[in-house]
Amino acid sequence: MKVSESWLREWVNPKWDTQILAEELSLAGLEVDEVCSVAPEFSNVVIGHVLSVEKHPDADKLNVTQVDVGDGEPVQIVCGAKNVVAGMKACCAKVGAVLPGEFKIKKAKLRGVPSHGMLCGATEIGLPDDGVDGLHMLPEDAPIGVDVREYLSLNDVIIDVDLTPNRADCLSVEGLARDIAAISGEPIKVPFELEPIATTGACHQEIKVEENTACPKYLGCLVTGYDTGAQTPDWMKARLERSGISPKSLTVDITNYVLLELGQPMHAFDADKLQGVVQVRMAKDGEKLTTLDEKELVLQNNTLVIADDSGPIALAGIMGGLSSAVSDATQAIFFECAHFAPLAITGRARQYGLHTDSSHRFERGVDAFLPERAMARALQLFTEIAGGQVSDVKALVNEAALHQPKAIQLRPERVEKLLGVVLSNDEIEKIFQRLNFIVETNDEGWLMTAPSYRFDMAIEADLIEEIGRVYGYNNLPEVEVNAPMRLPKLEEQEQEMQLIRQVLVNKGYHEAVTYSFVEENTQQKLFPEQKSICLQNPISDDMRAMRVSLLPGLLSTVAYNQNRQQSRLRLFETGLVFLSEDASIDRLQQIPMIGGVIVGSVSATGWSEEDRPVDFYDMKGHVESLLALSHVADKVRFEAKVLPIYHPGQSAVMVMDGEEIGSIGQLHPGHVKTLGVSGKVFMFEMRLDTISTTRIPSAKAISKFPIVQRDLAFVVEQSLPVQAVLDALGEVSSEIVQSIELFDLYQGAGLGENQKSVALTIKLQHQDRTLQDEEVDALMQQMIEAAKHKVSAELR
Amino acid sequence: MQQQLQDIIAKAENSVSSITELSALDEIRVQYLGKKGELTAMMKMLGGLSAEEKPKAGQMINDAKQAVQKLLSEKKTALETAVLAEKLASESIDVTLPGRNIEIGGLHPVTRTLRRIENIFAKAGFDIETGPEIEDDWHNFEALNIPETHPARAMHDTFYFDAQTVLRTHTSGVQIRTMENKPVPMRIIAPGRVYRCDSDQTHTPMFHQVEGLLVEENASFAQLRTLIIEFLRQFFEDENLKVRFRPSYFPFTEPSAEVDIATNLFGDGRWIEVLGCGMVHPKVLENVNVDSEKYSGFAFGLGVERLAMLRYGVTDLRQFFENDIRFLQQFK
Repeated sequence: MKVSESWLREWVNPKWDTQILAEELSLAGLEVDEVCSVAPEFSNVVIGHVLSVEKHPDADKLNVTQVDVGDGEPVQIVCGAKNVVAGMKACCAKVGAVLPGEFKIKKAKLRGVPSHGMLCGATEIGLPDDGVDGLHMLPEDAPIGVDVREYLSLNDVIIDVDLTPNRADCLSVEGLARDIAAISGEPIKVPFELEPIATTGACHQEIKVEENTACPKYLGCLVTGYDTGAQTPDWMKARLERSGISPKSLTVDITNYVLLELGQPMHAFDADKLQGVVQVRMAKDGEKLTTLDEKELVLQNNTLVIADDSGPIALAGIMGGLSSAVSDATQAIFFECAHFAPLAITGRARQYGLHTDSSHRFERGVDAFLPERAMARALQLFTEIAGGQVSDVKALVNEAALHQPKAIQLRPERVEKLLGVVLSNDEIEKIFQRLNFIVETNDEGWLMTAPSYRFDMAIEADLIEEIGRVYGYNNLPEVEVNAPMRLPKLEEQEQEMQLIRQVLVNKGYHEAVTYSFVEENTQQKLFPEQKSICLQNPISDDMRAMRVSLLPGLLSTVAYNQNRQQSRLRLFETGLVFLSEDASIDRLQQIPMIGGVIVGSVSATGWSEEDRPVDFYDMKGHVESLLALSHVADKVRFEAKVLPIYHPGQSAVMVMDGEEIGSIGQLHPGHVKTLGVSGKVFMFEMRLDTISTTRIPSAKAISKFPIVQRDLAFVVEQSLPVQAVLDALGEVSSEIVQSIELFDLYQGAGLGENQKSVALTIKLQHQDRTLQDEEVDALMQQMIEAAKHKVSAELR
Repeated sequence: MQQQLQDIIAKAENSVSSITELSALDEIRVQYLGKKGELTAMMKMLGGLSAEEKPKAGQMINDAKQAVQKLLSEKKTALETAVLAEKLASESIDVTLPGRNIEIGGLHPVTRTLRRIENIFAKAGFDIETGPEIEDDWHNFEALNIPETHPARAMHDTFYFDAQTVLRTHTSGVQIRTMENKPVPMRIIAPGRVYRCDSDQTHTPMFHQVEGLLVEENASFAQLRTLIIEFLRQFFEDENLKVRFRPSYFPFTEPSAEVDIATNLFGDGRWIEVLGCGMVHPKVLENVNVDSEKYSGFAFGLGVERLAMLRYGVTDLRQFFENDIRFLQQFK
């Protein structure tokens, strides 16, 4: 809420300057977003009375004026404005004045005629554009010679307070003033007195409230016979403008003024346009209403409306309708001042794409006992300015449905326990007295009854917050947590995420964090078998689908960086992917994954070895390092599998305990262009839970006996995976085999066309004795036979 | 004989000094000390000497042999040293060339910041908890005392999947999940991604929070304030960091506060909000069956990107999710 400081100070004027006032408001929980001056710096501009206007002898567009600036002798000013006329009051910059932008006014000659000053337009002195091409016109009664800053109260400041939803009571000048009074101790002074207005008798507009829970209070009043030409006074316009509301017409301005001053939204209908009975009822589905801002709404039956016999004429508590709006031609006004229950208004404005000062307040709550006062204030302002005859105020009230402040128990020991500070009873009572609570003592402490505008007070903790707020959070003592110390669990089997990340970091990877939502079509192309779960209200269309894989995000990161001349990239990410077989929330799984992508040359510094682009085995090595870190490398098998995202010949799934836990491969060349990446991109992704536990080491004795090493080379079909040979050998059970490792792979001369040679080193060792040649030979023979039998491997 | 021996030594010296190859050295050895060598021949002449002369002459010949032997071995060492020196010279390298595989990557600044936050709280005994990012209405709103009609719902700019399912708007839901499953007292922090339907220069639709929760028999707002100030001073390693608490409003805490620190990131010492906190609302405790008369708790929610920006001087929030390698490299 924006409010003029001078208006606020009319209500309460603590001995604080603007900065301190703003800071105190923030520290009281009424956060000041911005403090800004209403006009830029300028000086020596006064109200001038234009006495005469004559044509400039040598210039068509200039006039020579004599202006009374209150200094006795009139001054001569040459003026180019079109609207300058004798008799007008205008802003006059005297010689020596400095206008915004350091523009100094000096004695001058314009086309030979001396000029001692300048008559100003609105924007020339930093005022909001008044739409006039020429001088800013001041009222006839503006006092000659008075400084314009003073006259237009331009030394004022606008304070913008960002209020939390619970402090709807501060959505008015009075509300802010009450809180400032409570925290500063300075008394509040209401700048007006409401005296009963002589009325013309009963309000003859019939009113019927069908929904008296949603609308427990409805006040109506007819005003007739007023000066239809009466204008909104400048001071009121200025205050409205400074609060961000544009002045419209006297009637509307007055309802807005009361809204700002007291916090009560009101509405004014053109009484002659009302047909029959004014009703407060629920809308019927499909009923139509054209609002003041000329939107035609089709209403739903959850919406409270004000209607007459012709149908809805206003969205209750949100916005009036166009058909019954007041205009220059209006002769009779029906003022509405009602209380609507927050639940009846909440969400309705948004439902129709609206947000108004009125709905903002009713959604958060308005003091149920305010309408009577607000109506009286509006009528007072209206009759003071435009005169007229006022009817009695007709009031339809459902007392039972009005929010009644209830007494809340406050216990001193709870104050101490929750705030952590010891306060005397006297201090506590003083705080609540300043906040206008009714304070009653009882056996347990106090019964506190909040004023009707503090409907946010519901439980003891609310009271305790008020104590903290007024006492000052920043005055609380330092108190350390003194809860019993315990040692948190530290499971050694749990692999630290940090170590997992570090494996890749040590291989030159940078960690990326990409959005969890991606472009649906791209994801669909990469993962046609997965169904994406989609947001109902995405930020944009390309951020609609929840990712089913980390790879789309990483690939767009590759494209982003390649477009910025970064050709060698190593990136990884960890995070959730969102899978559901049928895209339903019921079957949703949120699975933590780790994924990586590499592209570009294998070496960061290419001076020494032959530089080559990264390949599948570089990527696989990185993955195997991750597996080795958590001691699952033996359990995970890589099996060739064609997946749409990968090159069909360079793609594998990782299988652990019969379950696919990840994949690895080269990005399918068919996707390269559509994704905007270049080069051969290699990627992997796997479930983080695969490597999230590790083993606790269990030490064994180191064998003292020699290792025997044998090499075997087999000739096999070229298409046979090496893994199959290893598996065949691995099946020969023996406790002396320490390792079987590939040391050479050969194709070419000496072998058949579709053959390859797989050379393996087998290391053997016994824990308790030296191995005998015979047993080693026997084992080798077993292996050779197993290889022959299982994979038709011939010893080379 | 003396003269003869000296001549031989002089001759040997002459030929040793002129050679440059190790192989030539052996020829000289044979010439003087071999079976038919000149000094060996002298030795054979001893037979013709008298018994008195014999030892003296033998001694002289032996001395001469040793002298020649010495010449030879000195030359050998000299030649070997030269060969080695030459070999080493040929093997010298440019030590200023870069080493192999020097590259090292880095963690994302958000991860780095999260680790720092986690480490500080872990030392105070806070356990780390996590929760799902697609969250149900109960855990994200209802249990946190944010009923559907609450104006705070509108403030949350929520991403919806359906009426009951959202992308979590804060990590506060992990409070509920943890208290539903574990007994109090407890101290936890819950780091993670959160989502708001908002995107401009100062908002990204995804960001990170760390939720903190402490429930004990005597947790107080003063303790919360003391802990938060201590945390911020440790995080920024600035004992004089200016911190202020402002009353604020969250449906799930009462009293509630927002916390600002004074920063010079923008050159003007302005207050910047870094977190929200408060005493857990009794209704929230009741929602998870914790006796709100016996126990009290406090909770806080830290904005991770905000802390990272202030700590590392990042002025544009959006950089965190562009993943420009030139940005990431600065956080190695």
